[in-house]
Amino acid sequence: METLNHILIFKTNIATTAARQQIATVLDMHPLIAQWTVDLMDVDCVLRVVSYHLSPADVIAIVARYNYECTELTD
Amino acid sequence: MRHRDENKIQAIREKAIEMVANDGLENFGINRLAKTAGVSPATIYIYYKDKEDLLTSISIEEGLKMTRSTLKGFDPEMSFEEGLWIQWKNRAAFALNNHLSAAFFEQLRNSTYKEKMLETISKEFELTMGNFIVNALNRKEIDKMSLEVYWSIAFAPLYSLIKFHNEGRSLSGRKFVFSQKLMKDTFACVIKGLKK
Repeated sequence: METLNHILIFKTNIATTAARQQIATVLDMHPLIAQWTVDLMDVDCVLRVVSYHLSPADVIAIVARYNYECTELTD
Repeated sequence: MRHRDENKIQAIREKAIEMVANDGLENFGINRLAKTAGVSPATIYIYYKDKEDLLTSISIEEGLKMTRSTLKGFDPEMSFEEGLWIQWKNRAAFALNNHLSAAFFEQLRNSTYKEKMLETISKEFELTMGNFIVNALNRKEIDKMSLEVYWSIAFAPLYSLIKFHNEGRSLSGRKFVFSQKLMKDTFACVIKGLKK
């Protein structure tokens, strides 16, 4: 059965294209992040990260370095 | 361990179609969808990147579903009359049994989702239908005409009947219910108009 543990979902305050641009520099370059998106249309500015190696805590730490809030959304 | 849950995906898809069909694209949002479908927003984000990804993916799936129903039992080698009749039966069945799907497509009209959906489904559909017309022309069953003229005669009459049926009324408020007999009568006139 297909597992989906490599898809990590977070609520953030990355609300503008400028903010997204700021974290893009680090997320784009990160060797363990396969893909990522921020939904700027959503109230929770949901950050979606596809990574087979990082844990939610790792992603939260990366985003926190840029002073953005980031908490895991669970299903 | 989190696994792919087909039941949840199905619920998300069905509710998204229903919400867009009833309330339009402007009022559609992931949080509202999550509430209606009985899942958490995070679940939706596991399967789709954002609203655009979700609507594009669902419209492509619905488009393929419609194409497959329309082409069911159809072969471009069929005689013009037989092939067109199968098209009528398939199109009528799909339109009458899939109200929400039809309303969903209506809401997508002029949106980028519709363009992406058409890009994906058009090729196969146009090839099959194109071959059907070429065969009919080669067999001298019909005259050469523009696609718009062909469609207006070949299919628009059927969609008029379906529209009357969905509204429950035809001209000047007359009560109307679609039937196989009416469809056959209309088809007979259409064939007379198109065949040489």
